[in-house]
Amino acid sequence: MIEVHAISKAFGDVEAVRDISFSAENGVVTGLLGPNGAGKSTTLRILYGLLAQDSGTALVDGIDIQSDRRLAQQKIGVLPDSHGLYVRLTAREHIHYFGRLHQLDENLLETRTRDLLELLNMRNIADRRVEGFSTGERMKVCLARALIHDPPNVLLDEPTNGLDVMTTRTVREIISELKNRNITVLFSSHLMHEVSRLCDHIVIVSAGTVVASGTPDEIRNSTDEENLEDAFVQLVERDLI
Amino acid sequence: MHPVSVVLGKEFRDARRDKRAILSAFLFPVFAPVFVYFMLTAIIELRSDVDKLTLPIIGSDHAPDFIQWLKERDVRIEPFTLSPDDAKQAVKEKQYELVLVIPENYQQRLAELRPIAIEIIQDGSRNDARTTVNRTQELIRDYNREIASLRLIARGISPQVMQVVVNQDIDVASKQERTAQALNFIPLYVILAAFVSGMGVAVDSTAGERERKTLEPLILNPVERYQIVMGKWFAATIFAAAGMGMTLILCVFAMTQVPLELIGLTIQVEFSQMLLMFIATLPLAFLSTSLQLLLGIFAKSFKDAQSYIGLLTFLPVVPSVYTMFNPIATQDWMFALPMLGQHLLLVDVLGGKEVPLLAYLYSGASCFVVGMGVVLITARLFQRESIING
Repeated sequence: MIEVHAISKAFGDVEAVRDISFSAENGVVTGLLGPNGAGKSTTLRILYGLLAQDSGTALVDGIDIQSDRRLAQQKIGVLPDSHGLYVRLTAREHIHYFGRLHQLDENLLETRTRDLLELLNMRNIADRRVEGFSTGERMKVCLARALIHDPPNVLLDEPTNGLDVMTTRTVREIISELKNRNITVLFSSHLMHEVSRLCDHIVIVSAGTVVASGTPDEIRNSTDEENLEDAFVQLVERDLI
Repeated sequence: MHPVSVVLGKEFRDARRDKRAILSAFLFPVFAPVFVYFMLTAIIELRSDVDKLTLPIIGSDHAPDFIQWLKERDVRIEPFTLSPDDAKQAVKEKQYELVLVIPENYQQRLAELRPIAIEIIQDGSRNDARTTVNRTQELIRDYNREIASLRLIARGISPQVMQVVVNQDIDVASKQERTAQALNFIPLYVILAAFVSGMGVAVDSTAGERERKTLEPLILNPVERYQIVMGKWFAATIFAAAGMGMTLILCVFAMTQVPLELIGLTIQVEFSQMLLMFIATLPLAFLSTSLQLLLGIFAKSFKDAQSYIGLLTFLPVVPSVYTMFNPIATQDWMFALPMLGQHLLLVDVLGGKEVPLLAYLYSGASCFVVGMGVVLITARLFQRESIING
């Protein structure tokens, strides 16, 4: 469960996030939708403790992220904007490294690694160095290292950006699987069809503020548009005028 | 497992597989001793050449007693049959360093007790011939003094009346200390190794981490940033220390392979001395890598970092080179200066001097404290929000 209350964040004169509030429930896939530069990444970075908000509060399972950063970070798994990997380490070594940074004990680490390799269908690449991995294989490693500590909340920053059809499918499957496990999933995207397909709840942000939120149907209804994409455009443009 | 050791373990494994880092870490320790070997060999050859002075002499027949005297002093005589003009030409063309000309009237003037002019044909612009010329002049002066003394004695006068003041050199350096002076560059190489060997790891785990876009996923783990920096610091330090140890062992080995006794130097490096030298320089590994991490965090890219850190490598050369050309009297506080302290310690240990325990403590503590300070600054920089944007 993630709760965001009126957070704001400015970089110098630029107000990246202005008074954003929303919540993401357990077992619900929440989509943070907005055009590029709307403040999606900044919001997520505040939620995973990389940036500190100027005002407002952000809670993960009731834990204040700013005052209890480490405790809150234990409760979240993150697929950040950067998908970098250590080219000289194997997939398994990546997963182990992040598991150990989460202070998992070795037995649990082994079990969790085995489960994840199974879940992501990557047993065949587990002991290869990631240098030369395809984009899809790299994405699987990124997902595995984000999920190794079995987090009750998962944040994904533009997870399907630049991926091919097969990999996008894998990501979607993982998201549904996480939902079935009653995990809170919050992901950001600028792709309308992605969000409408996966999300139970949508938060539309534009120019640093929330312009609409609700189920896909509620959003369509609020704008009298048949198509979610038209609704999105209308909402974003309305805000800009 | 403690977060610091988790990061250390990963960085160590990563670096071990990094061919570029390994090459840059251990190329220097392998080549430094080779250089030491050839340099020492060259010094010996240079000095032993001087001992075998060869003099081309025109008119050596005119002064058999003088020639005999020279031969007794290990001088090789090369009779020269050409004219003085040809000799001048030959010296000008650098075929000879000098040519001695003994005049035809040598015996006559000797009998008349009048000064005999022995000409030294030489090229004053040649620096490399200066030693030979000086030695020749010295020999002629010595011969002059000897004959003059005999003449005075024959007249019942003590030759000491000719001596008003004399200089007497008192060399306070022990024989081994003089050796250490000649081996000044071993400390320099060991200190350099501290900067060269840890560099690859330090850069790769900071600027490299950013360039590969692995920094953001790393720092969003529930670990304190200073713990991440410490892990990286220790990993780089292991490599720097290994490079230093290797340089030390191989350089000393190379040194023992050179017949230094030919130039009157004796060297005995015992295992305990090696150990002392390693302990003396080890703290430097912490300092050098901490500085490299700091620059690595500052840098925008791998290349950027390498050019900054390349400049940093000149830093340790400064105290070593300074003391090479300006020998200073060691005072206790100097041991507390990072790099200078290590240099002095190494020179003293190599020179067979008793080094007080306090000196180790000073130099070790100062390096570690400064290194720790730099690491904390690095951790603070790491803490800044802008770190992910580069």
